[in-house]
Amino acid sequence: MDTLGIFRDIDSAAAAVDGLVRAGFAEAQITSLTSVPYPDGVLVRSEQRTRFRWLALAGGLAGAAAGFVLAAGTAWLYPVQTGDKPIIALYPTAIVCFEIAMLFAIIGTMAGMFLEMRLPALKKRAYDPAIAEGFIGICLTIHRGGEAVECRPGEERQDCIGEIVSLSAVEQKERAEEIMLAAGAMRVIGEETP
Amino acid sequence: MSEDLSHTSRTGQTSLTDQAPKSATRINDELLSSLRPPTLRWYLLAFFLGAVVAWGMAAFTWQLTHGMYVTGKNRPVMWGFYITGFVFWVGLSHSGTMVSSILRLSQANWRRPILRAAEAMTVFCITVAGLFPLIHLGRNWIFFYMIPYPNQRGLWPNFRSPLLWDMTAITAYIIGSSLFLYLGLLPDLAVARDRSSGWRQKVYAVLAMGWRGTAREWSVYHKASTLMAALIIPVAVSVHSIVAWDFAVTVVPGWHSTIFPPYFVIGAILSGVAAVITLMIIIRKAFHLEEYLTPLHFDNMGKLLLVISLLWSYAYFVEVQTVWYAHEPIEWEVFSFMSGRYTTQLLIMLLGNSALPIAAMCFKRLRRSIGVMLVVSLLVNVGMFIERFLIIVPSLSHKNMPFAWGSYSPSWVEISVNLAALAGFALLFTIFAKFFPIVAISDVRELEARRTGVPLGRVRVPSVAGEE
Repeated sequence: MDTLGIFRDIDSAAAAVDGLVRAGFAEAQITSLTSVPYPDGVLVRSEQRTRFRWLALAGGLAGAAAGFVLAAGTAWLYPVQTGDKPIIALYPTAIVCFEIAMLFAIIGTMAGMFLEMRLPALKKRAYDPAIAEGFIGICLTIHRGGEAVECRPGEERQDCIGEIVSLSAVEQKERAEEIMLAAGAMRVIGEETP
Repeated sequence: MSEDLSHTSRTGQTSLTDQAPKSATRINDELLSSLRPPTLRWYLLAFFLGAVVAWGMAAFTWQLTHGMYVTGKNRPVMWGFYITGFVFWVGLSHSGTMVSSILRLSQANWRRPILRAAEAMTVFCITVAGLFPLIHLGRNWIFFYMIPYPNQRGLWPNFRSPLLWDMTAITAYIIGSSLFLYLGLLPDLAVARDRSSGWRQKVYAVLAMGWRGTAREWSVYHKASTLMAALIIPVAVSVHSIVAWDFAVTVVPGWHSTIFPPYFVIGAILSGVAAVITLMIIIRKAFHLEEYLTPLHFDNMGKLLLVISLLWSYAYFVEVQTVWYAHEPIEWEVFSFMSGRYTTQLLIMLLGNSALPIAAMCFKRLRRSIGVMLVVSLLVNVGMFIERFLIIVPSLSHKNMPFAWGSYSPSWVEISVNLAALAGFALLFTIFAKFFPIVAISDVRELEARRTGVPLGRVRVPSVAGEE
């Protein structure tokens, strides 16, 4: 369940984040929605490691293999003898390998990026079109009472479970809305409590 | 801000870095104004361009039904205007993505309003370029013989042929450049989605894929953009190197030269940078983007043009002086024929690609003059088309066997198809600019959002907060 507060400026949004963290919500539960990027930490921290580069590398290697099969493998399958020239020529094979390796690496980068962003979004998520006009959204993912909040890699369990999760989801939501409105939220959009 | 720190242009306009930050809504309004419903003038332009494309298609149909004799091609000149057009358009495509990538990697903030036009230019240029080998083929209805797939014919494309390297490289570049363009568009599509209605909103919503601009999305997006920029540069260089190898790996006099790949790449960047400048001027005027595409941007692009023009001149000088000093008979024959038969074209090429850009771009005042930049950038590309022609035709006209020497003049069919290619590119760009933000909104707004006034001595100077 997400609760989204819409803020007019960056300072009030940052104050809301501070308030939520002080109230016991874990920073991993909070994210910002903005139409321009801000340096990490200005609003929230998103210093999670990304893994899409490995997919780009895998794409590159797969592309090189595919290029080799296309140029060398098919030359071997369909041999055309030209003078004393080799059937499998190094120069053209290297060129085709390179081009297809780069193509697959680019496709791997895009695919990995979307996977890491969890896009395309298959279900409706908390959002407000005002964000496109420069307003700042602070989105809090509220977990059911007692449920562990997702930890970042390397974090201890006690560090990433906010104290506030001992409350019920409804109480957490009410508390979060109070904090956001007190920090200057123009409005708070909340999903229905399940 | 003190007087000497403000950069008011001679036209009285101030650049983005001089003014107080604009509101997001105002920037959105201004940069999305190009998406407003088309005017009558837009329809007239689209109709005119469409008519030229239709004329080119009719000419191609004429060629299709009558055979290749309707072109000016004949022995010994079997590559003419079509291959000239192919090399020219590949060259133009070269610089858009490359300029965008290099400026992105070097974190040049002035790049921001230019990116989108440059990236879109690449996609449309390479699309047009990719059509020329197909048009040039003859018996075009069996073009699919080039596609490698198991078939009953027992034929397989010969990957030892540079033409297959071309096909592979161009396919990779078209897909890569399109993805690079889409990547840059993603946040702007979300803005367009949030500010539109009806069918447009549905289209933008699908294309934006549910982008919300979370901190995580932005973080991954920036890292992916940087990686994509790093990946696309070697592809761009390889594409034009491979086009150069179409010539250089033959033993035709005038072509068989080790300098060809770097020379082609430099020429491609020169024509691409000039084309980006031309497009910037047209977009600036058409969509009233004077506050975003400022004299500062033309100044910087002019400096880039100067450097590339100097490099091109150096490469051309090296090529010619090597031929001249060695005086190898057949090489010298080709050069003599070219300079004698095509003297006017040669002079226009040297003026447009070397003398004029070098002379004009040395002066800040001229670099900041929109009129001068338009003339210079157009002449560079006229010169570059001639350069492609002078590479291809004279070498084929006077090859190693004097009894088979000949000459070439393009037919109306070839000229029509080349004009249609130009109109087709313009039409694609015109349609793109009407349906997608032609200036990168998020990039421009990011700079505005990060800009803060920092005290320095007795004044406040603009500073950009960044994490890099």
